[in-house]
Amino acid sequence: MNALPHRKLEDWKYSDLRNAVDADAVASAPTAAWSVASADGAVEIGDLPTITPRGPHGAMAEMAIAKAKAGPYLRVAKGDAGAVHLHLTEGGHGRAVVLVEEGASLTLQETVLAGEFANIAIELVIGRNAQVTHIRTAPHRDAVQVADYAVRVAEGGVYRAHFADFGGKLSRTELHIALEGAGASAHLSGVSVLDGAHADVTTHVTHAVPGTQSTQLFKYVAGGHARGVYQGRVSVAVGADGSDSRQTAKGLLLGDRAEIDLKPELEILADDVKCAHGAAVGDLDTDSLFYLASRGIPESEARALLMRAFLGDAVDQIADEGLRGNVWQAVEKALEGLT
Amino acid sequence: MLEIKDLHAAVDGKEILKGLTLSVGAGEVHAIMGPNGSGKSTLSYVLAGRAGYEITGGSVRYKGEDLAALSADQRAAKGVFLAMQYPVEIPGVTTLTFLKTALNAQRRARGEADIDAVGVLRLVRAKAASLRVSEEMLKRALNVGFSGGEKKRLEILQMSLFEPSLAILDETDSGLDIDALKLVAGGVNALRSPERAMLVITHYQRLLDYIVPDRVHVLSGGRIIKEGGKELALELEAKGYAQIVKDAA
Repeated sequence: MNALPHRKLEDWKYSDLRNAVDADAVASAPTAAWSVASADGAVEIGDLPTITPRGPHGAMAEMAIAKAKAGPYLRVAKGDAGAVHLHLTEGGHGRAVVLVEEGASLTLQETVLAGEFANIAIELVIGRNAQVTHIRTAPHRDAVQVADYAVRVAEGGVYRAHFADFGGKLSRTELHIALEGAGASAHLSGVSVLDGAHADVTTHVTHAVPGTQSTQLFKYVAGGHARGVYQGRVSVAVGADGSDSRQTAKGLLLGDRAEIDLKPELEILADDVKCAHGAAVGDLDTDSLFYLASRGIPESEARALLMRAFLGDAVDQIADEGLRGNVWQAVEKALEGLT
Repeated sequence: MLEIKDLHAAVDGKEILKGLTLSVGAGEVHAIMGPNGSGKSTLSYVLAGRAGYEITGGSVRYKGEDLAALSADQRAAKGVFLAMQYPVEIPGVTTLTFLKTALNAQRRARGEADIDAVGVLRLVRAKAASLRVSEEMLKRALNVGFSGGEKKRLEILQMSLFEPSLAILDETDSGLDIDALKLVAGGVNALRSPERAMLVITHYQRLLDYIVPDRVHVLSGGRIIKEGGKELALELEAKGYAQIVKDAA
């Protein structure tokens, strides 16, 4: 399969991969390389065994799985494995599998800083009452990067994820999340600060059984020719009664050339379900800007203050102070370029 | 301190101020009274430097300097303060963070060193108690969920913190009950000083029972149509704006 997704496909309408990268270059891209660092011995790190992925995933992940010849495999059998740092050192097609078994927990810190093209597929399997906190930071680079996460959460399991994406020529993050056991939950948040760059977060959360919970909070700041995209689909399956889902996506447009597309979608086939979604795009508030200026705060500083305030509740979803501080630092740096 | 001569100003191309002349000296408190639509708020925004409030004629000099040449933040750093009729709610920015940012921005513009968080908190605490601004209010997002009285008290707290040379109070009495009004007026009176000029803009005479002005100006149709001492406020209250406007015509 060498055909690339393009804008005529509904799911790729705002992210024309075919136009962003050469199909032959994609076909001949090598296997991506990673470095894995763990402070703790509780995680088993190995080469990817031949596992047939069972979680739902997207078209590009299909390609990554087919082409990647190796990749890291992380397994936490029990206890808290602490933080594991997964870093993409060389671009290409990549694949990783993370298995966190019953009652175990892991903080997955993922960073990306390599190559002009990366197409990675990561499968996360979260066992009964297991917990995974996943923080991904993708700095701005003039590159095409596609990342696909297939996440399955068993009974009582919790997946918390935060995606700080500063965009690229094309950046696509896909999350396919299946809440498969009672009490399973997923809490997703993310910020994108884009100065002329593109970033797309596409999520699909499936509430497969009753009593499952999901929350999503994504914020975008777009300046220059930037394009921020959020496509979020929540499906509540037949019989998944009493499920609870909240989805919020907001954008701040700086200037006329930037674009933000927010598309939350709900598909409910169950009863007694609590689902709420909201999306809004706006400009910096002129009343607020004047108020701050009248107190002596210069315009660039006032704008930065309002942008930080706008992004605040999304970044603050990260519970760990150190990891949250890292993301704030990256956000501050990106905002400097915009004000 | 403030010299306004034949000021013309327009909003969205519509002339609102039509030849306003006013002079306020250091140490003086002047009241500007006027009916709705007379140009009171426009005057306060023009003085504070709000975008879209365009000076089309005349001049405004503050301490001898042309105010029109300064941006809103530069005016603030030079000691112009506007207590707003509708203080703006800013979610995601705590009141204390805002106060620290504003105070240090003004200090930096004047070439003074920043004050650290502890120092700012000490300064704020010293002034907050008499205005009944609680620690809890300082931790909340700026003006978000504040009552009308809390918002106005916070405006006066800012005024006492920034120590402006020229304070403009735009309808500070609006939305306040009598207890809140007394508290706010007490805060303003505490800031009266020989170095400071104040311009108190109000629709009602009530506020002037508590903040007693040296001079009262009646604004109508974008111009000052009558001036007098503090007794003019009482005359206005007795006769109503329509009669005063008619008498002046």
